[in-house]
Amino acid sequence: MKAINPWFKLLTTATLVSALVISGCSSNSTESANKSNSGASKSGGSTNIKIMWWGSDQRHEATTKALKLYEEQHAGLTFTPEYTAWDGYWSKLPTLAASGTLPDIMQMDAAYIQSYVKRGLLADLSELDLSEIVDEQVIENVKIDGKLYGVPLSYNGQAMVYNKKAFEQYGITLPHNNWTWEEFFEYAREARTKLPEDVYPIDDLRNIWEWYQFYQTSKGLGPIFKDGKTFNLDKETWFEFNEIYADFQKQGIVPPADLQLYSKENDPQTDSFANGHVILRGSSVGSASAVEALLPEGGEIAVNSYPVGNAGGGWAQSTIFFSVSAKSNNIEQAKQFLKWFISDQEAGKLLATTRGIPINSDVLASIEPNLTSGERLGIDLLEVAKPNALPFYPAPSGAEDFTATYKSEMESVMFGQTTLEQAYETLVEKGKAAESAIQ
Amino acid sequence: MFAKQSRIKHQHNIAGYVFISPWLIGFLLLTLWPILQSLYLSFTQYSLLDSPTWIGSQNYENIFQKDRLFVKSLAVTFTFVLFAVPIKLFFSLMVAMLLNRDIKGMSFYRTLIYFPSLIGGSIAVAALWRNMFGLDGYINHVLGWFGIEGIGWISNPNTALGTLVLLSAWQFGSTMVIFLAGLKQIPKDLYESASVDGAGVLRKFWNITLPMLSPVMFFNLVLGIINAFQMFTSAFVITAGGPANATYMYVLFLYEKAFKQFQMGYASALAWILLLIIAVFTIINFVVSKYWVHYESEGRG
Repeated sequence: MKAINPWFKLLTTATLVSALVISGCSSNSTESANKSNSGASKSGGSTNIKIMWWGSDQRHEATTKALKLYEEQHAGLTFTPEYTAWDGYWSKLPTLAASGTLPDIMQMDAAYIQSYVKRGLLADLSELDLSEIVDEQVIENVKIDGKLYGVPLSYNGQAMVYNKKAFEQYGITLPHNNWTWEEFFEYAREARTKLPEDVYPIDDLRNIWEWYQFYQTSKGLGPIFKDGKTFNLDKETWFEFNEIYADFQKQGIVPPADLQLYSKENDPQTDSFANGHVILRGSSVGSASAVEALLPEGGEIAVNSYPVGNAGGGWAQSTIFFSVSAKSNNIEQAKQFLKWFISDQEAGKLLATTRGIPINSDVLASIEPNLTSGERLGIDLLEVAKPNALPFYPAPSGAEDFTATYKSEMESVMFGQTTLEQAYETLVEKGKAAESAIQ
Repeated sequence: MFAKQSRIKHQHNIAGYVFISPWLIGFLLLTLWPILQSLYLSFTQYSLLDSPTWIGSQNYENIFQKDRLFVKSLAVTFTFVLFAVPIKLFFSLMVAMLLNRDIKGMSFYRTLIYFPSLIGGSIAVAALWRNMFGLDGYINHVLGWFGIEGIGWISNPNTALGTLVLLSAWQFGSTMVIFLAGLKQIPKDLYESASVDGAGVLRKFWNITLPMLSPVMFFNLVLGIINAFQMFTSAFVITAGGPANATYMYVLFLYEKAFKQFQMGYASALAWILLLIIAVFTIINFVVSKYWVHYESEGRG
C-alpha cells in the first residue's frame, strides 16, 4: 500500500477540491434560477414585480412604504425594489437592457424615454384608462408617436427663484412675471450698480446649452435640434446672446469664469445661490425643496417666471414616468399598480411630493394642507411657469457628443481661450455630425 | 519505457491544471474572454441596446482622422504622465530616504506616513481635494494670511491639471515602501568604505544609492507610467474633465464614450489604442533600461 503514486494522491485531492468548488457554484446557480422562475411564472398565484427608480433618500423611503401598502392590499403580489441615484441609474439601465433583464417597472425621464421607445424596450400602455386621473392634455403631450409609453407621475416645470431679502436690502427693482429677455438683462445691469462687488445679479450660464436654447426657443426659432432631428442653431441669435454675456463678464455683471465653474448646482457649499454670490437663478419644480433648504437662515425665496419672448419661455410639463418593460411577464399587474400609484389617496399621502407635484389633482388636494414651505415653493414655481410655458426640448439621443462639446467649447470661451467664431465653427461641425447620428 | 514516461508527464500536467483550475477558469472567463470580446467589439458599432454590427476598421479611422477629443485627451494624459510620474518618484524617494534612518519610533512614523496611501485613491480623498482647492477652500484660506488672493484652483483651466498632479504625488505610499525596501538592501559596508575614502553625502547618494537603487527605480518607473496613463478617479470626481477639458484624461474620455454616449465599439477601440500606447512605453522603458539600470548579480557597473 506504500506504493501509491504520489501524483495519483495529488490528483484525487485536486479532483475532490475542484468538484466541491464546481458543485458549490452550480448549486448556487440552480437556486437563483429557481428564484427567478418562481418570480416570472406566478406559481401558486404569486407575482413578483421588479421595480427600479432613481432619486433621493426621501423618495426611496416613501416609495418603499407605498409598495408595502400595495403588497398588503394584494395578497400574492410582491415587489423587488431597486433604487439608486440619477447618475448610476442611467449607466445601469442600459446594461440591463443589453442583457435582456430590464425590471418590470422602471422610472423614466423625458430626456431618455425616446431612445428606449425607439429600441422597442418599453410596453405600449395606451390602453390603460387614465381619463379620470390625469388631465387629458397632459397624456397627449407625453405620447410618443401617438402611443403612451410612460405613466406620468408628476408635474414639472422651470422658473426662476430669487433672494428677496437681498433685493430689498440693496433697493433693486423686483422682477415681474413674464418679463422679456431685454428686461432680464436690464435688471442685471441695474443690480450691478447697487450690489457689493462680490455679489452678482445673475449666473454666467454660457456653457449650459439649455440656457441658450431657452433664448432661441422663446424667440420662436425652435430648439437646437428641430423635431429632434435637424440641426438648428441660429447663428445671429447665438452670437447676439453670447456677446451680451461676454460684455457682462467684462463689466463684472456675471461672476468670473473660475467662480462660475466652481459652483455646483444644489451643492450646499459651492452653489453660488446658496452662498449668496448670485441672487437670482433658475430652478425646476423638482428641485425647489433643495433650493429652499440651501438658503441660509433668514433668507427668503420668491419665484418669478423665466424671461419670455414672443413665443413664450421656460417649460411646464410632466417629465418623470413609470414605464413597463416590453418583455415583462406581468404587464397587466404592472399597469394596475401604476394606476393605483398615481391615484390612491393613501399612497399619495405616503409619496407626497417626492416626485414633484402629484399628477392627480385629488391627491394633490388631499396632501396640500400638510406641505412644507419648500414643497409649496414648487407649486408656486409651477404656477408662474405654466402661463407662457414652451414644450420641454430634451437633446435627442445621438446628440451627446454635441452637448458635451458645447459645454467644453463655451468654457474655453469663458476663459478667453477660444474665440466665439472658433467655437461656433466647432459647434456647427458637431451639430452636423449629430444630425447623421440621430438618423 | 518512453510511453510510460510521457504518460506520467501527462498526468503531472493534469494535476497541475486541476490545481490552478479555480484561477484558470476565472482568468479564462472573466479576463481573457472579455478582452477578446472587446477586441471584437472594437470593430463594431454597439450601443448596448442594439446588438453589435460589424463596421470593420471604421472606429479606428474615425478616432485617428476625425476625433478632436482623442487628440485633446491624449495631450492632457501625456502632460499628466510627464509631470506626475517624475514628481511622484522624486517625492517618494526623498520620503523613503528620510524614513531609512535609525530613529526611535521610526516604525510609527512609517505607518503614519504610509497611511494616506491606504485611502489615497478613494472617492473620499478626491472629494476632500475638491474642497481644499476650491475657491473657499483651505489653500486659499492659507494664502489669504499672506495677503495673496486665491483662485479657483480646480475651476481654472490653467491650474486644474496641476492640482491633479499634486494629488497623485501625494499618493506616494506604495512607491515609497518599495523604495524603502530597496534602500534596506544596499549593503552598509559600501557607505562605510566610501566614508573612509572621504566621500560626502551627495557623492554617496550619486555613486552608491542611485546605482544600487536603479532596479527598484526602474520597477517603480514602469508601474508609475502604466498607472498614470490609466488615471481616472480624481479627474472624474474632482473636475469631471473640465474646466474647458483641461483635465480630460484619456480613460475619462473612454468612460464617457462607453457609459454616457453608449458607443461601446468606439470605446473598445479606444481601450485597445491605450493598451498599445502603454505597451510601447513599457517596451521603450525596457530597452532604455539597459543603459542605466545596474544589476549587481550581472557584475556590470
